[in-house]
Amino acid sequence: MKTRLFFLLLSTCLLTKAAWTQNKDNPVALAINGEVKAPTKITAAEILGMKQTPAMLKDRDGKEHTYTGVPIQDLLNKAGVTTGKQLHGENLAKYLLVKCADGYEVVFSLAELDNEFTDRQVILAHQVDGGPLPSGKGPFRLVVPGEKRPARSCFQVVEMVVRFAKD
Amino acid sequence: MKRIKVIGTMVTLVCLAAWVEQPVATPMQLQYPSYFGNRFDMPANNPLTEEGVFLGRHLFYEPRLSANGRISCASCHQQEKAFTDGLRFSLGVDGTSTPRNAMSLANLLWVRNFFWDGRTKGLEAQASIPLTDPHEMGQSPERSAQLLQRTKVYPPLFAKAFGTPVITGDLIVKAIAQFERTLISSNSKYDQYLRGEYQPGPSELNGIQLFFTNPNREKGIRGAACGHCHGGPKTFLELYHNNGLDSVPQDAGRAAITGQSFDAGRFRVATLRNIALTAPYMHDGRFDKLDAVIDHYNEHIHSSSTLSVFLQQGAEGMRGNQLGLSAAEKKDLLAFLQMLTDSTFISDQRFSDPFKNQSK
Repeated sequence: MKTRLFFLLLSTCLLTKAAWTQNKDNPVALAINGEVKAPTKITAAEILGMKQTPAMLKDRDGKEHTYTGVPIQDLLNKAGVTTGKQLHGENLAKYLLVKCADGYEVVFSLAELDNEFTDRQVILAHQVDGGPLPSGKGPFRLVVPGEKRPARSCFQVVEMVVRFAKD
Repeated sequence: MKRIKVIGTMVTLVCLAAWVEQPVATPMQLQYPSYFGNRFDMPANNPLTEEGVFLGRHLFYEPRLSANGRISCASCHQQEKAFTDGLRFSLGVDGTSTPRNAMSLANLLWVRNFFWDGRTKGLEAQASIPLTDPHEMGQSPERSAQLLQRTKVYPPLFAKAFGTPVITGDLIVKAIAQFERTLISSNSKYDQYLRGEYQPGPSELNGIQLFFTNPNREKGIRGAACGHCHGGPKTFLELYHNNGLDSVPQDAGRAAITGQSFDAGRFRVATLRNIALTAPYMHDGRFDKLDAVIDHYNEHIHSSSTLSVFLQQGAEGMRGNQLGLSAAEKKDLLAFLQMLTDSTFISDQRFSDPFKNQSK
């Protein structure tokens, strides 16, 4: 009995340490909350391991740059957000609030980000022209192609919140 | 029949009890300009009432809430200084200085995250921190509630505000938060200008223009881009930026709350309402005068890995760390900042010490 207890304690300790180490080396990069199946925390390594897609954006410097990252829809799917075929009826009154580390916030309707509605792919990018994002903009920024002003292509995204418009 | 009578009597008693027990607090409507918008939440468990605000005002000025009985909220938040204390750092009950400059209080209804590092959501959570911090007022809410319970004044005030004379720490904080929500500053010369009641002079007009305009060298547009962070008539956006005070931030700022290295040296963008009255400036009160603040943004931005991208050299059409304002333009900016002083706000009796000229 005592041996069993010892092993139980030992394995608990090891598991805790493993979880802690993983936590330390792979901190949460993005949280997805609100109207989701389950609140989801995604690490940088998980995002880098997902299917990568390019997106073009004309920055404030007036030049086109190629960004690489993960479509927002794929990230939302990880949290069980109503995308694709599920995006109908009252779900069309849902919006996504994107929150950045500096407190900046921008809003999209879910349909704006959905490949059943639009061919435009908004991505959470981690690379620009094959290199890392500059400090102050990374590790992850939004890239919203095809807009006249890049104001929704915001920097240092840390959280996405799905809500129903309730008015 | 008898049964109906009994039920009838019971219903009457219950109604009577409910009527006697019911707080008779009067709902209060806040007046504010439409250009401030409605992006705020009033907590459902602490609706604004005339009686709650009246009580909160007393508590705001109540030194019994501190461990040595000498410090109230108003010690560091003095109305005539737009609810600041004129000091770099404030002295707490234990004689130590606070690590950061006391923030001014105005238009808090629209603030969602409080303190220089945005650590607390909502005014109720905010108020309880300085009350209990051993280096500020240093007294537990339970102890404060006990002390107030023994007075003649407070139990009836709590009864009127919250329907119970039994004082708790939670109710103390709720009343203070209610009072703070009423601290609305919207009658500065700038507000009068927005309402079409004041015609600014040329220097003030150019100051407004510079403040809200992003410079563009190619198009010959002059601007100081202040509005990028201090945007809109509220003169703040709820943002956290490293504004280049130091090349190695001496205070971790927001990073201490989030644990993220990219937040090092970031602080909440403060309101500029009544800014001419709230010296010294910045989270550490390092600048005595507004001229020094303008000089800082114009020519003394220090680079670091977390410096706001909007203040970096050659930042995408925004501005570099040499803004290049002329002496006259600096004067104009200052003229605009002085337009944000609201003399009505700092003399409004509704916000003043209720104990003045009155023995407790």
